[in-house]
Amino acid sequence: MDIELSADDLKFRDEVRAFFKAHDYKPGQDYAQWRLDWFKAAREQGGWDVPKWPTAFGGPGWSPTQHYIWEQETARANLPWDLPFGVGMVAPIIMNYGNAEQQERFLPDIRARTVNWCQGYSEPGAGSDLASLKTKAELSADGKHYLVNGSKIWTTMAHIADWIFCLTRTDASGKKQEGITFLLFPMKQDGIEVKPIITLGGSHSVNTVHFTDVKVPVENRIGEEGKGWTYAKGLLAHERTGLAGVSRSLVALEKLKHQAGTVKRGNSSLLDDPSFRAKLAKLEVDLQALEFTELRSLARAASGQQPGPESSILKLKGTEIQQRIAHLTMEAAGPHMAPWGGIHVGPKFASGGTQSYLGSRAFTIYGGASEVQKDIIAKNVLGIRTQGGSN
Amino acid sequence: MNFDLTEEQQLLEDSVARFVADHYALEKRIKLANGNLGFSAEHWQTFAELGWLGVPFDEEDGGIGGGPVESMVVMEQFGRGLVLEPYLATVILGGGVLRRTLEGERRAELLGPLIEGKLQLAFAHSEEQARWDLEDVVSSARQGGDGWVLNGSKTVVYNGGNADLLIVSARSSGGQMDTDGISLFLVDPKANGVEVQAYPTVDGLRAAEIKLTDVKVAGDALLGAAGKAWPIIEVVADEAVLALCAEALGGLEVLYKDTVQYTQERQQFGHPMTDFQTVSHRLVEMFMEYEQCKSLLYRATMEYAQNGHEAARTLSACKHLIGTAGKFIGETAVQLHGGMGVTEELRLGHFFKRQLVIESQFGNADFHLEKFAA
Repeated sequence: MDIELSADDLKFRDEVRAFFKAHDYKPGQDYAQWRLDWFKAAREQGGWDVPKWPTAFGGPGWSPTQHYIWEQETARANLPWDLPFGVGMVAPIIMNYGNAEQQERFLPDIRARTVNWCQGYSEPGAGSDLASLKTKAELSADGKHYLVNGSKIWTTMAHIADWIFCLTRTDASGKKQEGITFLLFPMKQDGIEVKPIITLGGSHSVNTVHFTDVKVPVENRIGEEGKGWTYAKGLLAHERTGLAGVSRSLVALEKLKHQAGTVKRGNSSLLDDPSFRAKLAKLEVDLQALEFTELRSLARAASGQQPGPESSILKLKGTEIQQRIAHLTMEAAGPHMAPWGGIHVGPKFASGGTQSYLGSRAFTIYGGASEVQKDIIAKNVLGIRTQGGSN
Repeated sequence: MNFDLTEEQQLLEDSVARFVADHYALEKRIKLANGNLGFSAEHWQTFAELGWLGVPFDEEDGGIGGGPVESMVVMEQFGRGLVLEPYLATVILGGGVLRRTLEGERRAELLGPLIEGKLQLAFAHSEEQARWDLEDVVSSARQGGDGWVLNGSKTVVYNGGNADLLIVSARSSGGQMDTDGISLFLVDPKANGVEVQAYPTVDGLRAAEIKLTDVKVAGDALLGAAGKAWPIIEVVADEAVLALCAEALGGLEVLYKDTVQYTQERQQFGHPMTDFQTVSHRLVEMFMEYEQCKSLLYRATMEYAQNGHEAARTLSACKHLIGTAGKFIGETAVQLHGGMGVTEELRLGHFFKRQLVIESQFGNADFHLEKFAA
């Protein structure tokens, strides 16, 4: 056992820090231009714009430790905004299951961040039970295109997306996991209606999307007809490992401590409040454990082994901790958690804290609700044969 | 031993429940919350006509002579509707101070209009550094001329922007944390030197920041004896805690029952969600917590009715339990509603937000556990 970073790893960390420093946003700069330039510069570093892509597609080929360092450093740095749907989600599917033509057609724009994607998976009747989706795609008589009809829900950023990757049903006769087909099509066309869903904090990021006779050429289908579930499942597994957010939580916890120190309580601060301190300490204990759970998982991957049982708890524990930090931040604001509508009253972090807490409630719902995650762990990790369960 | 409401109390509950059912559907509430006033002036008149604004006041003041149980009945039903009208600020807090401090003509001059729905109040007590410590007051009052001069800042004053009169606490003597030396004043929000910055709160209510700069008030603005307001502040806060707990309980009932219904209707994996034990057991836990809260609310209310402020420890127990149960029931309701739970489209999201704000009023769960243990 050894938890020291090697000399090479330390050198890598310094390079990452130097890169972030050299390319940091400067006040007054045109943000959109800075963003594109940043990704270009990261690309020139040797694929730093797509850390998780395989080297064959231009990724950097980092070791798991390097990925870990990257995550740690990015949690502290000011990175340009980036939606996960392109580089992180649809790209791996196109690489694994798309044909050469599709790879050539879609990957360059995804990589350059010039085209925004959204994910058409969940439906009003298909949430945790995603495979029961009903959006219909019918192949035309001449076999040239699909006609898509149906509705998607919780579609993040559908209102700004240029393209959607969408799970559709081409066959309803067999098992629900069969007969699902993976299609890509542009969002800005007739027959697509996007309606906002306002979430608890009053913000708009998710939508319902309705398709009426949307024509999708067959060359926009990924892989084989009816095999879409298999392709998406690989991606879902990927989504589940990326959500522990340990580094971000460590930074958030540090910030919370600082914030609590600015909250006056009589002549002292909230940090001197014994119950608040105890909750902070408990969070830190759990986060220290989770950090090493992630490292154990990483170490296995680094030595080329299959993911161990510990990796299955990362999303569950990670999201729970993120929610607790958000809650404690709201609690730190005390009576000032309430003022709303862009007004700033009391401690500086107060209104943002409540907003984050409300937003954090979705962490244990999207990307596989915690209840479903536990069913999967029960079956796949503990080997429990469940009856009438979700898998 | 009897936990039943009397006939009059039952009639009161029925009439508030009917009002809520008729006027507080989610869309109507959202419309009111987003309106100019943030509530309905018409509803306020209805409250007056039905005698609700007179619940805690004596019959000789024009009230109905109700006690803590009557206030609990009203607040619990208000909680089931997420009622926006400033009953807590005007009747429980403001009225609670006035009926304990005013005498003679002045008493009639103010309590009459209050009960008739023509006078709204706000209790401008809390200050930023105090968090929830009621005795922590740095706003100052010094005698000047034949009256007083007030200086200081009050924070998150509910109904502060709409109130016709403010009840302001200020220190006329003693140190920052002394219970002795705090005085209460009636202040016209339009008076020189009063600055009111009103804003909405996350649960759809309204509050305000209030700054007082050399505000001159007449001698009769002083409520009660100079420097001796502490016992009044204490009991008025007790009554606010009871009112908030009752309101919260009404909301918790909606949260858990809505979740029981939704999870029975929602099908996933070919079953209603309630077929999964992880779901049904959590529904049972929500129900258990709700019943425990109800018991402790009854206990606190009855003890307070009997012993007044000596029941403070039980009140703290109640606010603590309501706070922890509110978090558990609220978060679980959201979780079991899945994506729908985190939208503004279902009423449960709005009920959840009100629970969060109640937790931030007059001390959260930790604050009251500490008081209970002390």
